[in-house]
Amino acid sequence: MKEINPAKKTALQIALMAVLTAVVVVFTLMFRVPTPIKGYISLCDVIITFSAFLFGPWIAAIAGGLGTGIADVIGGFPQWAPFSFLIHGAQGIIIALIARAGLKKGVPGDAKLFKMILGGVLGMLVMTGGYYLVGGFLHGFKPALVEIPLNLLQSGVGVVLGIIVSRTVLKAYPPVRSLAL
Amino acid sequence: MTTSTYIAGRGFLYWFDARAKLLTVVLLCVLVFLPMRQLGLWVLVGVAFLCAWRATDFKQALQPLRTILFVLIIMVLFTPLTYRDGEFILFIGQFPFITREALVQVNTLIARFLGITYVCSLYVWTTPMADINLAFRWYGLSYQAALVLTLAFRFIPFIADAFRMIQDSHALRNAVRIEGETGKRQRLLDVVPTVTAALVFALKSIPYLAMTLEHRGLGSSVKRTSYRKLHAKGGIFTHVLLSVMIAAVFFLVFITI
Amino acid sequence: MKHMLEISTLSFAYQGYGEGVSNHPVLRDVTLSVAEGAKVLVLGVPDSGKSTLARILCALVPRYLAGEVAGSILLKGTEVLQMNPWDLLGRCTLVAQNPQEQLLMTTCGDEVAFPLESLGFAHEKLILEVDAALQKWGLLPLKEVNPQELSGGERKRLLLAVTEAIDAPLWIMDEPFDDLDEQWRDILLKKIQNRNGTVVVFASRYLDEFRGTFDQYCLLTEGNIITDTEEIIVEQFEQASEIQFPLAPKTLKTISHRLSCNQLTIVHPRRSVISNEPFTLHVPEFTVEAGEIVALVGPNGSGKSTLSRVLCGLDLALEGSVSLDGSTLSAKALQATVGYLFQNPDYGIFLPTVRDELGWSLRRIPRLSSKRKKEIVQSCADLFHLQLADNPTMMGYGARKQLQAAVYYILDRPFVIIDELDSGVTYAAAFEIVSLLRSRGAGIVIITHDRTFARNLAERQYKIVEGNVEETEVGA
Repeated sequence: MKEINPAKKTALQIALMAVLTAVVVVFTLMFRVPTPIKGYISLCDVIITFSAFLFGPWIAAIAGGLGTGIADVIGGFPQWAPFSFLIHGAQGIIIALIARAGLKKGVPGDAKLFKMILGGVLGMLVMTGGYYLVGGFLHGFKPALVEIPLNLLQSGVGVVLGIIVSRTVLKAYPPVRSLAL
Repeated sequence: MTTSTYIAGRGFLYWFDARAKLLTVVLLCVLVFLPMRQLGLWVLVGVAFLCAWRATDFKQALQPLRTILFVLIIMVLFTPLTYRDGEFILFIGQFPFITREALVQVNTLIARFLGITYVCSLYVWTTPMADINLAFRWYGLSYQAALVLTLAFRFIPFIADAFRMIQDSHALRNAVRIEGETGKRQRLLDVVPTVTAALVFALKSIPYLAMTLEHRGLGSSVKRTSYRKLHAKGGIFTHVLLSVMIAAVFFLVFITI
Repeated sequence: MKHMLEISTLSFAYQGYGEGVSNHPVLRDVTLSVAEGAKVLVLGVPDSGKSTLARILCALVPRYLAGEVAGSILLKGTEVLQMNPWDLLGRCTLVAQNPQEQLLMTTCGDEVAFPLESLGFAHEKLILEVDAALQKWGLLPLKEVNPQELSGGERKRLLLAVTEAIDAPLWIMDEPFDDLDEQWRDILLKKIQNRNGTVVVFASRYLDEFRGTFDQYCLLTEGNIITDTEEIIVEQFEQASEIQFPLAPKTLKTISHRLSCNQLTIVHPRRSVISNEPFTLHVPEFTVEAGEIVALVGPNGSGKSTLSRVLCGLDLALEGSVSLDGSTLSAKALQATVGYLFQNPDYGIFLPTVRDELGWSLRRIPRLSSKRKKEIVQSCADLFHLQLADNPTMMGYGARKQLQAAVYYILDRPFVIIDELDSGVTYAAAFEIVSLLRSRGAGIVIITHDRTFARNLAERQYKIVEGNVEETEVGA
């Protein structure tokens, strides 16, 4: 079989990032529960967690950061976009680094369950903490406290569904393995 | 799903070059965190609101306010209760409600937050997405990163449509004849199949997207040219100068020393 | 005579996934020579490997769609199998069957410009070329419109505009006539005929207009290509794809249902930016009885899917109601009464095997032993020629359509709407699916724009003419 030189996989890398970014945007905007501070909570963390488990830190960072940033702009919260980009980007990186620690490159989704959970929990903390800091900076630390339980809920649901979905997708669509870089 | 935030209109903000305008946005968002006079912050909010009104209409101009109304209320309720130092100026019954410092604090926070919100909203309303992308490129974003951004925008409506169809398809398949039988728990369980189908659908399009990018020449060693270019009427230098001047005037007039 | 393309002993198999799953062979021994400037028509039934072959010719497969290829393809003497796809940009262009697969940009203008940017056209020339190409395909007024807002036909024209702008010597066209209406079909056919370059057209329908217009006629069958005279090729092709058996007899269930609409008015905002008027559809009368096959026809975008979505309770009508046996049904009750097979079968596929996918539909039926469930799943899979262990997302398009139908066969809905079944599967397979669903007594609505298909299958027909649904003669 003709193997593609990894250096020549730019197109695949771009395609992965772009499509997953779009999926994050759609999930952020289509499942929205309005909340006081950040505007809304959503299912975006499911896709970020999923991307982190299957495709590693960089893809997850771009898809998560760019996707939530774009969703903020489209959804009428442009002032949050740069912060979402950084926070969800960092969340993606953390989850992937921990969940996939010790895995060979290009073997997606075979991460151990406890590592996935650990990564997910740390991701939750990064996301919740990040929004608390930025919220405090933008409009006072006391009001930003209100958001903490909501963000924990959102990212927690994200981790649980993310783990389930990454398994069902691997089973339903095995060629996803060949998409890993 | 509409991905466009651009609202067609006329006036200064539409003439202002996307690159220089972006610089203004960044500068203003930084400046509001410096020790500014409260009047200055409110002037910024007022001017931004008037710009929004002129560029669109009154209803649209109120939109950003509406999105953050709730957080403003929370701020008004929380800040007085947590800032207890200083001279109380308002009592509710016997209860000392608000101090002068708390009032100043909440006023600054609100004006600052409103200012940032309006300035950012104005930028995405008056600048087409393609121009924002070109502006990022001008500031050093790589072609490939800009391409990811464009492609993401191309795929958002496509995936949103598919996602709606997937939800419909699952609703029809899971429908039961007796009404009221599907409870909340069941609906929650149905999220997994829907999300899985949506992800598989999206993932399946990735190899074809990569394929088409290469078929259309991505990877070729020929130097890419550009179909779209930003044209700043009067030269980009004028625009950047104007941008810096706006920020400087705001800074010099309202800074407290 | 100089050869543009020389394919010899080309074989290809897609990589199989999962334990013990072997590769899936598509092409066995394809050999074909195409002279420079020749216009070639390659016929083949759906799922015969046309799209795969088309992509291999452009060096697009196997790359991100893994598989094993052997043999040789010489494009003007250069081995395509050793080349990178981007190096073929100026040499051959593919028009894919599904336009969505090839759209990259957020405006039509950028879409045409993208490959020209790759070719290094100067800015001024780009502007001129983009406008010229859009003009030729009637898309200049849509230059700043997002391709996602276009109709299927307009998207196809956009890709044809891109292809013409690149102006490569070889065009590979996979079902280019699909989705185009007659006017544009004629224009495309003339362009192909009058072109200096070489054109290879893949098609799964032999259109009347094709008669005598190509220099070379081929048939892709069983992974091989046969070249012969037009008469012989067409005859063999029709044998392979034509109706092979009559419809199964109506089974008369004792309970007979009647689904009817009375004075429906459906309004929804138009997606297109071109017209701001909301889309309105009037349905004075529409009835389907159990066991009946009714065709719903009309041009693209006329509202066939809009009406279907109301019938199965996904959307609400502005006025009027849908009733079953005389009593009005709520949207929720309609969802459980009328099944809807979306044109794209993938919307409903999410489980790892056919067995799971079919079993999923049974899980809500109370008082059914697991042994009985197994039997139902097995017998249903047999009826629809499905293998229980297969992975649904990896099956061919035809098999995925069969699976989609099998799911509704198990659900046993009294009425089923089938959207565009005839595109992508053979007539024979489509007929079989319809007769199997009817054998359980369901009333069936088939949505189609293929008159032949409607004529041969439907007992009654409704047609959408300018926003009105009216009953017409079958096949009209």
